[in-house]
Amino acid sequence: MHASAFCGFYVAKADATLFNDRSEVILVRDGQRTIITMSNDFKGDVKDFAMVVPVPTVLRREDIRVVERRLFDALDAYSAPRLVEYYDENPCVRFDLYDSVMESEMSRAPTSTGMAQEKTARKMGVTIEARYTVGEYDILLLSATESVGLKDWLIANGYRIPATAHEVLDPYIRSNMKFFVVKVDLARFQQSGYTLLRPIQVRFESNKFMLPIRLGMANSNGSQDMIVHAFTRTGRVECVNYRTVKVPSDRNIPLFVKQQFGAFYKDLFARAHRREGRNTVFLEYAWNVTPSFSGMKCDPCVGPPPMPREFAEAGADWGGAATFYTRMHVRYGRDMFPQDLVFQVTPNTENFQARYILTHPAQGDLTCSEGQDYLENLAYRRQRELGELNALTGWDVAKHKGYVNEVRGRLSPERRNNAVPFGWNIKWPGDGFPPSWPMVAWIAALILVPCLIRPAKRTVAVA
Amino acid sequence: MRFLQPITATLVFLKQDARHFQIVFLAGFLLFGILQLHWDAELTRYVFLLGTCLGVQACFIRWKSLPWSSLKSAAVSALGMCLLLKAAGPGALVLGAVVAIASKFMLRVNGRHVFNPGNLGIAAAVLLTGDAWVSPGQWGSGVALFFLVTAAGCMVVLRVGRIDTSLAFLGTLAVLEYFRTVLYLGWEMDVWLHRLSNGSLLLFAFFMITDPMTTPRAQRMRVIWSVAIAVLTFLLGWFFWINSAPIWALLIISTITPILDHLQHGDAFRWNTERPEQPAHHEQHQLT
Repeated sequence: MHASAFCGFYVAKADATLFNDRSEVILVRDGQRTIITMSNDFKGDVKDFAMVVPVPTVLRREDIRVVERRLFDALDAYSAPRLVEYYDENPCVRFDLYDSVMESEMSRAPTSTGMAQEKTARKMGVTIEARYTVGEYDILLLSATESVGLKDWLIANGYRIPATAHEVLDPYIRSNMKFFVVKVDLARFQQSGYTLLRPIQVRFESNKFMLPIRLGMANSNGSQDMIVHAFTRTGRVECVNYRTVKVPSDRNIPLFVKQQFGAFYKDLFARAHRREGRNTVFLEYAWNVTPSFSGMKCDPCVGPPPMPREFAEAGADWGGAATFYTRMHVRYGRDMFPQDLVFQVTPNTENFQARYILTHPAQGDLTCSEGQDYLENLAYRRQRELGELNALTGWDVAKHKGYVNEVRGRLSPERRNNAVPFGWNIKWPGDGFPPSWPMVAWIAALILVPCLIRPAKRTVAVA
Repeated sequence: MRFLQPITATLVFLKQDARHFQIVFLAGFLLFGILQLHWDAELTRYVFLLGTCLGVQACFIRWKSLPWSSLKSAAVSALGMCLLLKAAGPGALVLGAVVAIASKFMLRVNGRHVFNPGNLGIAAAVLLTGDAWVSPGQWGSGVALFFLVTAAGCMVVLRVGRIDTSLAFLGTLAVLEYFRTVLYLGWEMDVWLHRLSNGSLLLFAFFMITDPMTTPRAQRMRVIWSVAIAVLTFLLGWFFWINSAPIWALLIISTITPILDHLQHGDAFRWNTERPEQPAHHEQHQLT
């Protein structure tokens, strides 16, 4: 149990059971402007809710908004890792090819009076820079000169701060950051009619493009998950102080995974996370989602692509101009993530999605010679699918022998023990290889031109 | 012991020229990145960079009648760029590679080229095209030991004589970072260590600023030069939030290298260690 959120921490006024192990954030970066939307899946009693987030500037009232929770749902549904199903043709009969798409069934981890307050604040070295009410929230922007004063002030005003928090507050105070402190106004919350707290969005101009994760670790020893949905005009967002790697994708997996795709992806992620050293940021999705761009936006789409209305709500409303969507998933803990996450926008527009492939076998009579060849390959393919499943998730696949044997059983007896052809379906390493024509032409020119150049008369050519 | 012969022969070959070691090490890092760190194996990118660097170098070799062995220098520059420069299209890569190699022959002061070719190539590609970028996070911070051991080992073995630049740079940066992160901001030691053990930073410290052709010739000046790069790296990173600050710091400080050379002269560097002195070729080697 850890009472923490991605960039700040949830602080309780009572010993309520607070819990949050997956947070989501939308990051929009355009030049020096950053817009951060923080999802709020706080499960405790709302009267206990409070949040502290370091921000680089004193935000103005118009820089703070409350947005609808369904924005996150729409983005998550659209960019989540996906399953795709293909159907094999029966080689003995002409068949039409069907592609169908299955909605991923990933278990969405549930995905005082002012004057007096100010006077005591000043005594403790805390300045209340601004005070706003936005939607159901009461918001304060604090600046502080030292962490103990800030901690004391928060405690005096009824926020329960983790014991070690002031050690982490210090670096942010020294970096001249302000503190965005949020509480819920119960009366307004009840009037609003919402049952869940809505996400808060802030925008500011700063050359720092980062997420302060360290504060959220103040009272947590375990690891937390964060999904970052990033939008830029130019291309992918990547982390500059940790490695950004792609999550394993485009793998053929056995059919029976369909029923347990949520568990499959969870284990796959855990394994990839361990294998990469537990200190990486994973890329789950990267695509050009420009509203006017008519090309393919996902393959397959597990949710409808974001609409202009959603871009506007996220703050990436660029009037139909190029928009690039990057989804990152990071599992972080204090031991492997000592630094806050710093990002950069790159011109990289290469598409990527976490995608896993199910292939249904051909139906009908397969006794013809081509049909028997097909079954032989199918048995081999299923064996590889099991191997892939084991490699990706670490699941024990020995109990799934039947998955291969049911295909073998359909082979004629003389074919049953045939060896599988070697080198079946070799994949070239990397993309863009074998080379393209412009590359061949360029290399040819680079070889030819030096041959054509005549040496100058001088042998020593120093200016 | 006949079976050892190929090994000793290889070692002798490697020891003939520091660049042989550099090529082996840089190619090794590239393989490590692809196989161990799961970089995208962008073969097209590597082919464009290597091909262009070697091709342009070959043009200059023909034009200026230089020894063909200078292709090794181009290979070193190209591999360095493969490790650092990324681009969305081939145009930026070709531009970077052409600028890198051409600068060795076109941008010369007192018979030496001013900029580190790989460094200038990267800067040109990033600034002029907007289509290229550097990923300082691609090495992570876990491979620190790997770099330190191999790089230091290779430096010592080869006695290129530029270990002083690496140490002055890293030492200065370590002290400055310590003051900033630990003493001033109050972060824990592991934040400091995480910042310093960044693989890209170490690669830069051991393989980019140690190029004997573009570092000042006199040792005292080299140390001043490295300290200046470290200070500028620190300032750009902390106060301007520039990612991959070392690249830009080196580019800026390189402009004062001729002045430092003028203040204190030193011996010109030659790549080959095995052959006897050949004064006639002395100047030519500098071109490479």
